[in-house]
Amino acid sequence: MRHSGSQISAYLDGELTGPELADFLHHLGECGQCSDELLETQEVRAAVRSLPVIEVPAGLMPATEAEVLPLHRNRGFWVSTAAAVVILIIAIAALVTPAPATISVDELNSRFAARVSLDPAFGPAKVIIPEVTEVAE
Amino acid sequence: MTESAPLDWEEVARVHGRKIYNFAYRLTGNPNDAADLVQEVLLRVRKGLERYQPGSFEGWLWRITRNAFLDGVRKENRRPTSPLPDEVDRWDLAHSPGADVEYGRITLGDDIQKALLELPFEFREAVVMCDVVGLSYDEIAVAVAVPVGTVRSRIHRGRRLLREKLS
Repeated sequence: MRHSGSQISAYLDGELTGPELADFLHHLGECGQCSDELLETQEVRAAVRSLPVIEVPAGLMPATEAEVLPLHRNRGFWVSTAAAVVILIIAIAALVTPAPATISVDELNSRFAARVSLDPAFGPAKVIIPEVTEVAE
Repeated sequence: MTESAPLDWEEVARVHGRKIYNFAYRLTGNPNDAADLVQEVLLRVRKGLERYQPGSFEGWLWRITRNAFLDGVRKENRRPTSPLPDEVDRWDLAHSPGADVEYGRITLGDDIQKALLELPFEFREAVVMCDVVGLSYDEIAVAVAVPVGTVRSRIHRGRRLLREKLS
């Protein structure tokens, strides 16, 4: 009788199909030796597959990624820096701009008049004051 | 298996880096060699992605990985079947937090690792590609450049030898 041999591993790994699978299963039903070998092989296979996955040591992958990532990292840095600068400018502008005050037209007029009296250049280049003449009846 | 290639090598590193590391670790039992291999493979992938032809990406990647591994072995003038230290290296024990837990996890499979290292390279490689990396027989055949029947035979003989060493 021809034994299954490497078909046993192929079966366990899902690599047997079609007529070969049917022949294998038929043989397995008749052959105690191959049945035993199947169980033993299954145990070894499970043992190797149970080996813990070892994590890549810290620093190994970042070191390799660093060659590719600086562009993204720099872009992120500049975007956040620019955003911070804009926020800062807005904040400073808000602080130095005087709050809008309520002022009456009369007060504005008198302030203007006072300023012009001290500094004629501040006022209109030439003030034309129409002559008031008495109109004879 | 036909797959599209990842967009860039960064993705290869993210998706396959750990597998490549574990492949090398189980093949050599040495974390330093494993780390060197990951870097070398990623370098080769980066250079090779432009020329990648759609096909079995896994087969292509593991062929690169295998060649890089063998080149590394040749460079150091060591035979792939050379026995390696019995004890699993205690990397970064003094530096990394929680290292005791990690070391305990690694040594969990010490007897299996030791038995793996005693296998002839061809059998060890086939078993590791199948049971550690999770490649199909077709993918292993592409990676190792042998017929699928040879892959099947190597995996089974490797497991039988492991069984002898573990019992």
